[in-house]
Amino acid sequence: MAAAMVSSAGGLLAMLNEPHPSLKLHALSYLNRLVDQFWPEISTSVPIIESLYEDEEFDQQQRQLAALLVSKVFYYLGELNDSLSYALGAGSLFDVSEDSDYIHTLLAKAIDEYAILRSKAVESSEDVEIDPRLEAIVERMLDKCITDGKYQQAMGIAIECRRLDKLEEAIIKSENVQGTLSYCINVSHSFVNHREYRHEVLRLLVNVHQKLASPDYLSICQCLMFLDEPQGVASILEKLLRSESKDDALLALQIAFDLVENEHQAFLMSVRDRLPAPKTRPVEAVQAVETSTAQNENTEGDLQMADETPSQTIVHETDPADAVYAERLTKVKGILSGDTSIQLTLQFLYSHNKSDLLILKTIKQSVEMRNSVCHSATIYANAIMHAGTTVDTFLRENLDWLSRATNWAKFSATAGLGVIHRGHLQQGRSLMAPYLPQGGAGGGGSPYSEGGALYALGLIHANHGEGIKQFLRDSLRSTSVEVIQHGACLGLGLAALGTADEDIYDDIKSVLYTDSAVAGEAAGISMGLLLVGTATDKASEMLAYAHETQHEKIIRGLALGIALTVYGREEGADTLIEQMTRDQDPIIRYGGMYALALAYSGTANNKAIRQLLHFAVSDVSDDVRRTAVLALGFVLYSDPEQTPRIVSLLSESYNPHVRYGAALAVGISCAGTGLSEAISLLEPLTSDVVDFVRQGALIAMAMVMVQISEASDSRVGAFRRQLEKIILDKHEDTMSKMGAILASGILDAGGRNVTIRLLSKTKHDKVTAVIGLAVFSQFWYWYPLIYFISLAFSPTAFIGLNYDLKVPKFEFMSHAKPSLFEYPKPTTVATANTAAKLPTAVLSTSAKAKARAKKEAEQKANAEKSGNEAGKAKAASDEKEAESMQVDSTATTVEKKVEPEATFEILVNPARVVPSQEKYIKLMEESRYVPVKLAPSGFVLLRDLRPHEPEVLSLTDAPTSTASPAGGAAAAGQAQQASTTSAMAVDDEPQPPQAFEYASP
Amino acid sequence: MDPQLTEVSQQFERFKAAFARKDYNTCSDLLSQLKVLLTKFTSLPPLFENSPNAAKELTIARDIYEHAVVLSVKTEDQDAFERDFFQLKPYYVDARNRIPSSPQENLILGLNLLRLLVQNRIAEFHTELELLSSATLEDPCIKHAVELEQSFMEGAYNRVLSARQTAPDATYVYFMDLLAKTIRDEIAGCSEKAYDYVSISDARQMLLFSSDQELLTYVKEEHPDWEVKEGFVVFQKAKETAPCKEIPSLQLINQTLSYARELERIV
Repeated sequence: MAAAMVSSAGGLLAMLNEPHPSLKLHALSYLNRLVDQFWPEISTSVPIIESLYEDEEFDQQQRQLAALLVSKVFYYLGELNDSLSYALGAGSLFDVSEDSDYIHTLLAKAIDEYAILRSKAVESSEDVEIDPRLEAIVERMLDKCITDGKYQQAMGIAIECRRLDKLEEAIIKSENVQGTLSYCINVSHSFVNHREYRHEVLRLLVNVHQKLASPDYLSICQCLMFLDEPQGVASILEKLLRSESKDDALLALQIAFDLVENEHQAFLMSVRDRLPAPKTRPVEAVQAVETSTAQNENTEGDLQMADETPSQTIVHETDPADAVYAERLTKVKGILSGDTSIQLTLQFLYSHNKSDLLILKTIKQSVEMRNSVCHSATIYANAIMHAGTTVDTFLRENLDWLSRATNWAKFSATAGLGVIHRGHLQQGRSLMAPYLPQGGAGGGGSPYSEGGALYALGLIHANHGEGIKQFLRDSLRSTSVEVIQHGACLGLGLAALGTADEDIYDDIKSVLYTDSAVAGEAAGISMGLLLVGTATDKASEMLAYAHETQHEKIIRGLALGIALTVYGREEGADTLIEQMTRDQDPIIRYGGMYALALAYSGTANNKAIRQLLHFAVSDVSDDVRRTAVLALGFVLYSDPEQTPRIVSLLSESYNPHVRYGAALAVGISCAGTGLSEAISLLEPLTSDVVDFVRQGALIAMAMVMVQISEASDSRVGAFRRQLEKIILDKHEDTMSKMGAILASGILDAGGRNVTIRLLSKTKHDKVTAVIGLAVFSQFWYWYPLIYFISLAFSPTAFIGLNYDLKVPKFEFMSHAKPSLFEYPKPTTVATANTAAKLPTAVLSTSAKAKARAKKEAEQKANAEKSGNEAGKAKAASDEKEAESMQVDSTATTVEKKVEPEATFEILVNPARVVPSQEKYIKLMEESRYVPVKLAPSGFVLLRDLRPHEPEVLSLTDAPTSTASPAGGAAAAGQAQQASTTSAMAVDDEPQPPQAFEYASP
Repeated sequence: MDPQLTEVSQQFERFKAAFARKDYNTCSDLLSQLKVLLTKFTSLPPLFENSPNAAKELTIARDIYEHAVVLSVKTEDQDAFERDFFQLKPYYVDARNRIPSSPQENLILGLNLLRLLVQNRIAEFHTELELLSSATLEDPCIKHAVELEQSFMEGAYNRVLSARQTAPDATYVYFMDLLAKTIRDEIAGCSEKAYDYVSISDARQMLLFSSDQELLTYVKEEHPDWEVKEGFVVFQKAKETAPCKEIPSLQLINQTLSYARELERIV
């Protein structure tokens, strides 16, 4: 109102020059009110007001008023720095609670400034003077947030400004401490870029956690794992295990499973080793740990002892409480070693295997016999499709065809068995026995299959190589054949992933120093695998050798190896990265890209992204550029929505290498998400003019679409048809054909029960998975490395476990249409159509052909070979075939529409729960079991509410390793059926229900 | 009646008495007291609150500032003039609808125009002029200032000087004297450029001095770079010292070349 009256601030400004101080004050206070409107006029008089501010004769109040006025004018002029410095001079007149743009902007500026100063003070260890007035403003803001109940805001500012004291205060004062803590953990993972500082925050959180009355042990242990403090985890586990309550023990088991999910092998091992062994004298042992519970346990123990038979009253006999502890301890140790989860996963994958052998059969038939690339691609696809399921029916049925693989193809064919039997820890060795090098005898086996077998052993025992390490080492030392060395190195690296075992390192190093290209490459990678994330000075040793050697292969292996050593080190790796990216040798620069990718994997760190983008457009070597783009995928996988946006320009680059990199970057970071933007970006690339870009795009597309059903994105179906078309097309380039074959493998990976996942459910990186994909992306140079993708597979399952770590029968609900998440329908040979078509083909050919056709028809009636012939016919008329296929599929959909689809589905433990399905999972009320932790998938411990009823268990059978020829015979007997239901007919395993039977209510 | 208002009017009466006595020191003291008292009136700019005494308060405040302006002319204090004028201005511009316009208004505005002319602030002069209505422009006080400006711009300096006699108000004389000085500076500046040297008598005539002595003092005080020798005023030195602007050609060429190179690199 007042402001509208005057047309100029000139009068007030003139008043500032009046000699009388009260006039000046009058003018100032009115100007302060009018500044929002008249700042342009006032801005010319700023020097006068400034001099008022500096005038010592003025009283404090007036000077502050002058400062505030100047600050506002500068704010309007856009000079935020000046504005801030005067705002600081305004002291208490700068009211943080005022709701105006000026205050908001300046507060943000002040907090930014303060945060920058604080982090500078911390990082550069030198003293940075922080204006106490600035600090006061920020503190006032923080206090205000806390008193207003805006805890999240307060925590955000506190974290940003490195004020851990305030952070703690905010957390403790908030109403919902648990919620705030978990929010804080999230924030610290996603927004705190500095590794050291993140550790400090987490440490604080752990402390706060522990002070609580009922601490959330699950999150504490997650934090401790990040801090790499096995001792803390061990003592928590011990406390829970020693507790009387069964629930606490269940919780301990759950914690163990959650830790295992993050695949931090070295950490898990040290936790396991720190868990104290049960002692024969419980009183001492318990007292040593915790005096308060000691009394309880002791008395309880006494009571139980009194109840027990007299024979147990001897003092040296194991106390019952301790016996319980011992029993629980073995369970936890079993889990921590990974054995339990691997075994359960194996059982799950085996029993739920839904892979479609017909796809493989089609591929096999359409692929040119002599084309070894496609031949081995088919073998790769088979291995990936059956990864971890132990189902090797396809190989056994096609031994003849398989024997065409020679040399390195033989190597990878043998290694493929390792992927199929991944996690088959007990029988892995005996399975591979026929192929392994026979010690001393000189052996009749080809070195290729022997090397492959060693590699396979590594894949079987990946990240859990306790039992096999020694054998692999012996094999490595006892051979001088480079192919075997190659296999043994890869195997050792996989088995001893991240353990940094000195002895193994020395063994591998001696292989490296033989300077043989083939063995050296594997040795380089293997060293990296061994030293994952350790950032030791061995990296410089490796770098030195990379400079020394002449072999490109060795340099490449070493470059990747060095990159692996800095996994997750973030800033800690900067010097090494700098050194590598400035190297003259493009291969080392290429390694530098990987180092950037892995050091900052999943951090979405802006600096790393900027650097990678810079290399992607400026490096002279195509290899480096390709890798730089690809590396973006690793840096961004925690934030998959961003990737398509960032690489979208690069995917249109004139340089095919950059396009290829962009495709894989999207594939890696959006793996298993089915993200719509990712698919849209990849779609045009799958029909690129350059063959290898098509290859990369197809593979990436398969990675993105893994486990996405056609019902949730129709493009999945289109992609499957596209793959089929490419595979059947005779004129397609080998490169893209290979891509298509691999893509169909990845699309149905692990019997359609696994997805590619780089983050665990608690948003931590899965080391093995990331490493696996990083090495996998090397297949550009070396196909056998394709198998590393199997490390990134994680089963999409809900596996509920009871106290005995058995899988009880337990039903829960998926509150969505079953068709959204069902398995893809098995492909069918359109027998009726081909039969109808065959006569027309016969008419135009000679009688001889007619006779053959008749014979074929006969054969078809009873033999499975008909599929083979039909396939040939299909290949001949693939266009028509495709049409008929489409007709067929529409027909089935029409059929389906008749019956209304159910809106929910009952799943039985253990069940396949794909990632996008997780949000629909609901537990049934009045269920017998209640999970310890609310999680829609993974391993979940169940609390039994009715412990006295007998339990019904499922998943009791272990997969038998020897799929006898009977399997094939059975398939032959079942003829047509075998082709539709996939070759699950292994021994006594009952046929699982077909996918669409769930649909009927 | 409001006690404050009474107090102000009493003070103002005393001020007017002192003003009439030409006791300017007392006036200044009283004036600054008055100004402080005025800050307590909420009806004044910039608040313009509607109090019952608003009109009276506004009128008296305007009166006070008008007197203040005139006082500053009398005391020959240009800064005070500017200060007071700006404080007075809202009463003319923003309070137009609240109180009848002041009889003094045009006189004060004319004075202000004259001041700007004296200070050679021609731009502001025209800005002020733009704000006036055409009726106001016809007012003798304003018209006088406008005509002066025109003559000044044309270079008809003698007309400017003769206008001193036609000044509409006694207060104008002070500025007219100052104006003569401004004009002298202008002429001096022109002749400096136009001539290499001028004889002393010509110079005296041109610069409108009545005696050579005055001329010499002027030269000494205002233009120390002029030389007076052998009956001539020599401007050579001033010309030499005038900064000659050389085009930094080499630097420009280098810059252009580097731009071209950069462009080439980008493409």
